[in-house]
Amino acid sequence: MSITDALVMATFTVPEKITTDPQSLLWLLPLVAAIAIVYKATKLPEIKIVNFVKESVVLFGSIVVFMFVTALVLYFIAWLIIE
Amino acid sequence: MTKSSSKENHTIFLLTVGLLAWLIPGAGHLMIKENKRALIIFVTIILTFCAGLYVGSIGIINPSGAKPWYVAQIMNSPVVAALGYLAQKGDYAVFGKPNEIGQIYTSIAGLLNLLCIVNAVYLAHLCKIETAGDSKCP
Repeated sequence: MSITDALVMATFTVPEKITTDPQSLLWLLPLVAAIAIVYKATKLPEIKIVNFVKESVVLFGSIVVFMFVTALVLYFIAWLIIE
Repeated sequence: MTKSSSKENHTIFLLTVGLLAWLIPGAGHLMIKENKRALIIFVTIILTFCAGLYVGSIGIINPSGAKPWYVAQIMNSPVVAALGYLAQKGDYAVFGKPNEIGQIYTSIAGLLNLLCIVNAVYLAHLCKIETAGDSKCP
C-alpha cells in the first residue's frame, strides 16, 4: 500500500474531533443542502440549472428558517418551565 | 409479443432500474436517460455518505450494535455491507459527537437514495405508460 493510499484510508478509519459546543450545530447545514438538492432533483419535472439552483436554495432556506423557529419555540417553552 | 410477456418484461425492467439505483446511486435514473438527475443524485449522495464516513470513520457502520442506523445506511449501496463487515473485524470504535454526526449523515444519505430508487422506478413506469412502449424509454 502506497503512502497516499494509507493516508486516504487513515482519514476514514479515525474519527474527527468534534466538540459539543454550539458551533457543532453548523454540521446541520451541509446535510440540509444535500436533502434540498436530492429532493429537488427528484421533484422537478425538468432539470434546468438556473431553476434547479433557485428551487434548491429556496428549499434550503425554508428548512433552515423552520428549524430556527422551532428551536426558538422550544427554547421559549423550556424558559417558561424553568422560570 | 403477447400482452402477458410485455407485462413481464416491464416488471423485469422496473426491477432492474430499482436494483441498479440501489447498487450505484443515480444509476437507475441513468438507465432511463435522466442523465442530469443521475449526476446530481450520484454526486450529492456519495458526498454526503463520504462526509459521514470522514467524520465518524467506518466504525459508524455497526450491523450488530446499531441495527436501525445500519438499515438506513445499507440503502446507500450493498458496498455498505462490506464496510460493515470490515468495521466489525477491525478495531474502529467511535463514540460521542463524531459517532452521532457520522451516523446521521450516512443514514440520511441512505434514506435519500431510497427516495431516488422509488423515484427512478416511478419515472421508468411513467415513461413506459406515456410512450406506450415506444422507443423513448430503453
